[in-house]
Amino acid sequence: MTVISPTQPALPTTASRPRSALRGLGMFFRRAPFSAFWGCIAAAILVMAVAAPVIAPYEPLKSDFRSMQKPPDEKHWFGTDQIGRDVLSRVIYGSRASLTVALGAVLFGTTVGALWGLACGYFGGRFDMASQRLIEFLQSFPDLILAMAIAMALGGGLGTVIVAIAITRIPFGGRVIRSVVLSLKEIQYVEAARGLGASHKRLMFRHILPQCVAPYLILATTHLGVAIVIEASLGFLGVGIPPPTPTWGNMLADSLNAGLVPPWWLVLFPGVAITITVLAFNLLGDGIRDMLDPRLRGSV
Amino acid sequence: MYSYIARRLVFGALTVVGVSIMVFVIMRILPGDPLVAIFGPEGFTKLSDKERAGYMAELGLSDPLWVQYLAWVKDILRGNFGRSFFRSESVGDMILRRGPLTAEIALISVVLSWLVGIPVAIVSALKPNTVVDSAARFVSILFLAVPGFWVGMLIVLGLLFWFGYRAPMTGASLFVDPVANLQLVIGPAVVLGLGQAAYIARMGRSSLLEVIREDYVRTARAKGLNNRLVIAMHALPNALLPVITLSGVLLGLVLAGSIPVERAFATPGLGFAMFTAVSERDVFVMQNLVFLYAVVFVLLNIVVDVTIALLDPRIRYR
Repeated sequence: MTVISPTQPALPTTASRPRSALRGLGMFFRRAPFSAFWGCIAAAILVMAVAAPVIAPYEPLKSDFRSMQKPPDEKHWFGTDQIGRDVLSRVIYGSRASLTVALGAVLFGTTVGALWGLACGYFGGRFDMASQRLIEFLQSFPDLILAMAIAMALGGGLGTVIVAIAITRIPFGGRVIRSVVLSLKEIQYVEAARGLGASHKRLMFRHILPQCVAPYLILATTHLGVAIVIEASLGFLGVGIPPPTPTWGNMLADSLNAGLVPPWWLVLFPGVAITITVLAFNLLGDGIRDMLDPRLRGSV
Repeated sequence: MYSYIARRLVFGALTVVGVSIMVFVIMRILPGDPLVAIFGPEGFTKLSDKERAGYMAELGLSDPLWVQYLAWVKDILRGNFGRSFFRSESVGDMILRRGPLTAEIALISVVLSWLVGIPVAIVSALKPNTVVDSAARFVSILFLAVPGFWVGMLIVLGLLFWFGYRAPMTGASLFVDPVANLQLVIGPAVVLGLGQAAYIARMGRSSLLEVIREDYVRTARAKGLNNRLVIAMHALPNALLPVITLSGVLLGLVLAGSIPVERAFATPGLGFAMFTAVSERDVFVMQNLVFLYAVVFVLLNIVVDVTIALLDPRIRYR
């Protein structure tokens, strides 16, 4: 975390000095308390996902035929579903699927996109032209539709959902990092390194890539929320992680099969979980963006 | 201007070709075997080799891929979108029957997003960092986070619970039965419209805040023009340009978002057809619908770009 400088990535100055992760965190809390608060909630959700077996009061897959479709009471705080599974436990376990997919897809998609963008910006020419067309084609699909088609073609499951959502994230990484690299390429220290006979590999990975870390982090955090919503939508449409694995999207889809009038507790709680998680990651992302790139402060 | 439109159209046509190849690659080549998509991974393993070969030949899937691709393109150019495995209705008829409903939803939602988003943006930008502004910003952040289809489910549930109301289940044309049609369309349109309004309010606010600081706005104020007129006549037109562009991008959100939202409301539109195709693993219907959605998205973006070019000479003469 020492390479992050508070200055703009495109204009590296000598003023940027290494800062420990802890001090950075302290500054984040002082500068953006609101985002930091939601960051804590995001961290809490992460802990909930990791520690799901410890926290969840019941087994998420075990049905209890003596209490089917019961409204919330003191034994089952969020009620039970059609076949007597505890909704609270399923919501807690659902965070695992949601976060695994979101983190996996965003890291994978943004990283591939960023490396692609690095190559495009650095080499330019025909390779860049062809890549830009390809990215345009990818962006001609609305996100969810592209993810649906890929998930359906690959046949469902955790891995395919991650890949499907990751592919929709590639163009964003590609575009942003490419433009950063284009401006960096002309900067004097890069030219100096080139003049000294540095190889392409060394120029790209030693001199240019470190300056792309801030925009990369901004991109990754701002896309987490989108990825969570796409994952939930895929689950809701039946092309996500297949049941009986509890995911928030699956639970909402299941609730529609619970008779003509779905019980309110089956609809309410998974949706609240999605909303709070997305809100937390979006606001954390906003805070990180404001801190790493002051120029963008307050814009969309 | 005409050369700009022509250039944009040529690029658009190129994009459509690229998109068709991409759809074909995703739906036919990626899994290695469309039968996996049709029967599912478990069902596929249960088929014998002979059955597999039989199905492949029957579906025209044992031809070389480029032959299949050309056959598909030829069909589309003839307006023949093929047939579903499971339904007697052809895909073309289905699009004609269900498409208008989804188009209506999209149109109403875009209008709604402007009607709600722009006033909120103006109020926010005129009184930045006040209670009103903070409240507006928080509500829009909240709306960005809430999944539309879940809001839809809550609305359906609430109406049923408190009023015993349920929207009609069957499709109704705007011209034959406008009341039933409105009942079908209004729910999804409101949900999708408010989702977009949040983006528009955010973008409108920051864009207006930027424009208000410019010299020409100060000049307008300095000559004693009424503040309302300054905002409405001088600041707003320029501030709206990025909002129009954003609105074009958001159309993707509407097109895709209408799929889960129509499912939540059980609206018999094209989005619901897409959901049915996915859950029935109807590869060919899916292939054509995905292509259709992408083409519509590309065309709408051309319309938005041309609109922007008409409004903003800086872009036209670039």
